[in-house]
Amino acid sequence: MVNRKLAKVSSFRYTILAIIFVILAAGLVLLPKYVKHEGIDPAELLSKASSTERYISSDVLADKIINQDPSFILIDVRNEAEYEKYSLPNAINIPLKKLLDEDSIPYLNQSQYSVILYSNDNIYADQAWVICNRLNYKNLKVLKGGLNNWYNTIINPPSPTENMTNLDYELFNTRKAASMFFGVVYPEQIKADKPIVVKKAAPKKVITVEKKKKKPAEGGC
Amino acid sequence: MGPLIPNGVIPYEWSNIIAIIIGIAFGFILEASGFSSSRKLAGVFYGYDFAVLKVFFTAALVSLIGILYMDYLGYLDMSALYVHPTYLWGAIIGGAIMGVGFVAGGFCPGTALTSVAIGKIDAIIYVVGIMVGVFIFSELFTLFQPIYEGSFMGNITLMDSLGVNRYWFVFLFTALAIVIFKLSDMIRKRTKKIFY
Repeated sequence: MVNRKLAKVSSFRYTILAIIFVILAAGLVLLPKYVKHEGIDPAELLSKASSTERYISSDVLADKIINQDPSFILIDVRNEAEYEKYSLPNAINIPLKKLLDEDSIPYLNQSQYSVILYSNDNIYADQAWVICNRLNYKNLKVLKGGLNNWYNTIINPPSPTENMTNLDYELFNTRKAASMFFGVVYPEQIKADKPIVVKKAAPKKVITVEKKKKKPAEGGC
Repeated sequence: MGPLIPNGVIPYEWSNIIAIIIGIAFGFILEASGFSSSRKLAGVFYGYDFAVLKVFFTAALVSLIGILYMDYLGYLDMSALYVHPTYLWGAIIGGAIMGVGFVAGGFCPGTALTSVAIGKIDAIIYVVGIMVGVFIFSELFTLFQPIYEGSFMGNITLMDSLGVNRYWFVFLFTALAIVIFKLSDMIRKRTKKIFY
């Protein structure tokens, strides 16, 4: 009995398969369409964005520059005019508009260096950070407070008042020393009548980035 | 996630090994389903056996529908897949020559090799013929080069060049396939039965 039933069904096997085929193909037509986005998952982006690790403070950055840390590149996302006026040593200018240009991608999309983005405040740099992260670029950081904060902490550090702790004085001294490194001259240096040694702000760093090789998938018969 | 090798899920270096494994499986299944018989293959042209047409048409459809579903569900990035470049006239002329060879010899290059593996003499001669053809082609390559590299149209697909919605295209293609299968069955019933 079972065999006869099976035989009856199996005589229709090609019809059944054909129907399955048509149903599957029709399913493709009827499925609701959606627009696909490139890059990482929104949830992942959000968790990265809310992490404080994406910021680098001006003190840490100054320390890195002074010690000639080779592991990072600086990217200035302001426009060219502002970049010409003042920027950090060895920074590369990639204005926000040119962020997705062919020429700027090798600097941003690489795993050799960590990338430190900055602008006047951290707003433009944050925008660049979000765009680049969305494209799944790695090792991106933003200078906290941008160049304004850089100026207020490193170049022109506020002198501690008498009611502050020893730590604040130490911080001030470090920052003052750092500012000297970046070319600031203090009145007491002149009073001391010493020859003023204005150090060249950080030796020129040559940044070479390899273009990512894209291996084309090959195929054939 | 996919495709696995371009996305680095499987290292690039494994691709040759995987190709060999897939090749062995492909050859085995060709042989097991009787495609190493030139009579079965030539049957398409004489109308007594449409297995080749049905098998390859079905294979194309299964992979097409499967890839589109996987792309839809996000398991596969279709844009990263390899699309064979189109050299229009080269493809037309080459296809015609290959078709003549297919009818005359009763093999396509892949099935010829499976037949060689089971020791068919006609297949061995066929493969020697392929070698001679390859030799002539490479010796006279400068002559054929304008056709071979001419009328390049890029890595286009049928869906792109026709400008139709790909899901509708697949649906119509499936319907067409089933109609063709039905027609081929009708033709097969009318032609004289041949035992082979």
